[in-house]
Amino acid sequence: MKLQELLNRLSEIKDKLTKIEQASEKRIYLYCEAENSYAVNKFLFEDLGLRFVIETGIDSGPPFNPIDCFEIIYHYSDDESGCVVNLKVFIRDREKPAIESITPFLPAAEWKEREIHDILGIDFKNHPNLKRLILSDDWPEGVYPLRKEVKK
Amino acid sequence: MSWKIWSLKKSPWVFHVNTGACNNCDIEIVGLLTPKFDVERFGIKLVGSPRHADALLVTGVVTAQAAPRLREIYRQTPKPCVVFAIGACACEKGVFTNGYHVAGPVDKVIKEIDPDAIIAYVPGCPPKPEAIISGVVKALSAL
Amino acid sequence: MTEALQNLFWVVVFPGFLFTCFAGLLVCWVVRKVSALVQWRVGPPLYQPFVDVVKLMGKEILIPAEAQRTVFMMAPIVSLAAVGLLATMLWRITIAPKALFVGDIVVAIYLMILPSLGLILGSSASGSPHASVGTGREMKLVISYELPLVLAFVVVVIKTAGLVGPGQQLSLAAIAQYKPVLSISGMLAFLVALLCIQAKLGFVPFDIAEAETELASGVLMEYSGALLGIWKLTQAMMLVVLPLFLVMVFLGGFGVSQWSGLLAGVGKYLLIVVILILIKNTNPRMRIDQAMKFFWVYCGITLAVAVVLAMIGNNYGIGWL
Repeated sequence: MKLQELLNRLSEIKDKLTKIEQASEKRIYLYCEAENSYAVNKFLFEDLGLRFVIETGIDSGPPFNPIDCFEIIYHYSDDESGCVVNLKVFIRDREKPAIESITPFLPAAEWKEREIHDILGIDFKNHPNLKRLILSDDWPEGVYPLRKEVKK
Repeated sequence: MSWKIWSLKKSPWVFHVNTGACNNCDIEIVGLLTPKFDVERFGIKLVGSPRHADALLVTGVVTAQAAPRLREIYRQTPKPCVVFAIGACACEKGVFTNGYHVAGPVDKVIKEIDPDAIIAYVPGCPPKPEAIISGVVKALSAL
Repeated sequence: MTEALQNLFWVVVFPGFLFTCFAGLLVCWVVRKVSALVQWRVGPPLYQPFVDVVKLMGKEILIPAEAQRTVFMMAPIVSLAAVGLLATMLWRITIAPKALFVGDIVVAIYLMILPSLGLILGSSASGSPHASVGTGREMKLVISYELPLVLAFVVVVIKTAGLVGPGQQLSLAAIAQYKPVLSISGMLAFLVALLCIQAKLGFVPFDIAEAETELASGVLMEYSGALLGIWKLTQAMMLVVLPLFLVMVFLGGFGVSQWSGLLAGVGKYLLIVVILILIKNTNPRMRIDQAMKFFWVYCGITLAVAVVLAMIGNNYGIGWL
């Protein structure tokens, strides 16, 4: 769909997002909290028909965010306008980070969420197969390598 | 020198092992085995199974998941055999020096099961095919 | 006593085992050198196949824990013995045609199957999943090409039936004096037999069982050291024996009585080897279902036509059919 139509459709879920930012002509950032992530992802994938590219997990803090939190970015793209939509989801709980998995309607996200769980320790609810993916079998439980407090 | 070592120098059959490399060194090795560089004049042939091999071309820094598998492949190669560590990562960890999932460079992993292993190093990122040929020939003539 | 010693000499040294090994490794070098020249590069030096076998004899033998040891170790030895016996038989026929027995073409066909059977048994005794896939493919390949090969020889027997003496239709020494390839049915049978030989030797496009890049060396995957050296020797000896068999059956044999006959025989043999090398270098590998369809459908129809033409030619005395 064209860029203007995309922006119009995105304003339908404006109440679930904290901010919509259009960084340049082909780049849109959406900011949202962890509770609304499932509904927004479902809307972007099924109703708008965007293409799911990849999912990124970050242990985020200053200077990008005033307080430490976990961040998951879902990258989507639109074929016709060439626009890339990045949905940034913030998980504020650092003790037991958890979010709902989008695997039930997007099977391609299964291994990406397994990898994020392995490396950052974020728990994905309703994930069909949350096993260890890339760390070796004798790696100690509970040590998540990409968290900021873990130094080699 | 004994006839076994002499015949090993004249006809080294290689097997290619990737233990978690970025694939740059693998591309150079596969390019080396094309007719352009003609390594068959040295008797070098690519074989499909480590049980047929005399030389292991190991690329990549050995990740913690690949380490037991590399040891198993080394045990399955009939002795006498030579191990070539190709690329900066295989020789001395390269950019992954402080990595969290790295079991060590190739010589450390192999010397754990065989302290007398013959290991040759071909540094570079990635080494040119001419450098790999030169490294293999030098290692074989030093045997 | 001296006759037993003489037989032993024939089997082991000349023209049996050692001579065929030496000639086989030399022809192996010819194959690699011609392949290299076709690819615009310098190939291996002359001593390369010899050094390969010597090196393999010097390495340790590793046997997998799940392998069935007896069959695993006996399979290459049985194959080598079968090929050695076949080589002795064929060379004796060319050198002394009067000393052989009737029906030896049947024995030769029987001995030719034994190396493939040895390969199947040895690889299924390895106890490895890659080798078992290779075993299945080798079995399907053997089922596909054995029948066309035997039918091609049946065409030759039909064609030479009227020309040889009574009771000698199945005698290789008698058949080897005629050239059935100079007729339509003979030429068709010769082409089919050439492709079946390509499959039996394990050359591309039919090296499905020992597919290096697909199956990590398939059937021979678990063999190492001296056992692998014995398999390589078997393959080298088959490279001498099988084209020699084709020369004797189709192209009029090796005439060892005069120099011109000997040179012509060597020339015919080299012609077949060069055709095999050129087919090997210009074709990709076939899938197993494509190979089965090729042998059963295309070669089968060609041979049916050849058999019919041969019988018509025999009945009405037309030589060129």
